[in-house]
Amino acid sequence: MAASGSWKSGSGSSMGLERMSVEQLKAVKEQADLEVNLLQDSLSNIRTATTRLEIASSALNDLSLRPQGNHILVPLTASLYVPATLHDSQHVLVDVGTGYFIEKTMPEGKDYCDRKINLLKSNFDQLVEVASKKKNVADEAGVILQAKLKQLASSS
Amino acid sequence: MASSSSESAVSERRGIPGAQFVEDVQTYLTQSGLDVGSALAFLQERLQQYKVVEMKLLAQQRDLQAKIPDIEKCLDVVATLKAKKGTGEELIADFEVSEGIYSRARIEETNSVCLWLGANVMLEYSLEEATGLLQKNLDNARASLEVLIADLQFLRDQVTITQVTIARVYNWDVHQRRVQQAVATTAQD
Repeated sequence: MAASGSWKSGSGSSMGLERMSVEQLKAVKEQADLEVNLLQDSLSNIRTATTRLEIASSALNDLSLRPQGNHILVPLTASLYVPATLHDSQHVLVDVGTGYFIEKTMPEGKDYCDRKINLLKSNFDQLVEVASKKKNVADEAGVILQAKLKQLASSS
Repeated sequence: MASSSSESAVSERRGIPGAQFVEDVQTYLTQSGLDVGSALAFLQERLQQYKVVEMKLLAQQRDLQAKIPDIEKCLDVVATLKAKKGTGEELIADFEVSEGIYSRARIEETNSVCLWLGANVMLEYSLEEATGLLQKNLDNARASLEVLIADLQFLRDQVTITQVTIARVYNWDVHQRRVQQAVATTAQD
């Protein structure tokens, strides 16, 4: 039943597109393509952010296994490292944005990363759905536009 | 009679050919043995080559401008470590474990630092050696940047000269066509 309902709404939208002029169809297609591109950019940004958080989570996991006083090479700049010892293996500083840093315990830090990852994944799924709908609209508008242009060419 | 083209003060700079400023288009075309279309095509191609070289130089400039502050920061850190040396004072540093995650480390008195040289190579240097190497790298980077800026300036001058030459050749061609048209009209009358 739901399927037939969605099919009807789809058919209704295509009927709406059928009634449009060539200029209107062009505008609809351009708008839909623009929105699809924006959504694709957002999706790639979310993917990148998720990867970063997963790396952070695994780094926290690795750090929690190291005992305090463990010898490490500390990066003081991107290309300069000095030998040092781990001062506190139970606490980390988490950058939560806009210049704020929160000191958390290891489990809290991991929990923070996991929550962020889950949030991003749910956003990603929602965006994928919206993007596919927009793409369908753009494709449909393109097909109807081509048909109308052919019709105009043959009539002239 | 005016010479067809006066060479730029520098005919070439680090592989970038100098552009000719055309004073008399007619003589320039005669000497080069080209018609207007070929001359314009040649100049347009030269202009494109200049643009490609400019893009490369700008990319190099961006790299150097990012590199210099990093080297300066490294020098500051080494200077701080040198200053702390012998005081018996330990240094507590927050370092980045991963993006957005920081941990705390205790830096005891150290006589050496490790410098990442790239290509998966990291070498350990004494503080004095590290200072020397970083200072040398900084001087080289600054010198390279100066040369690069001069190259870009030279290149922009050549682009301007080439664009002016294209305009002059094109305008000369338009003028010639008009003259020919006027002559043809007069002959018909």
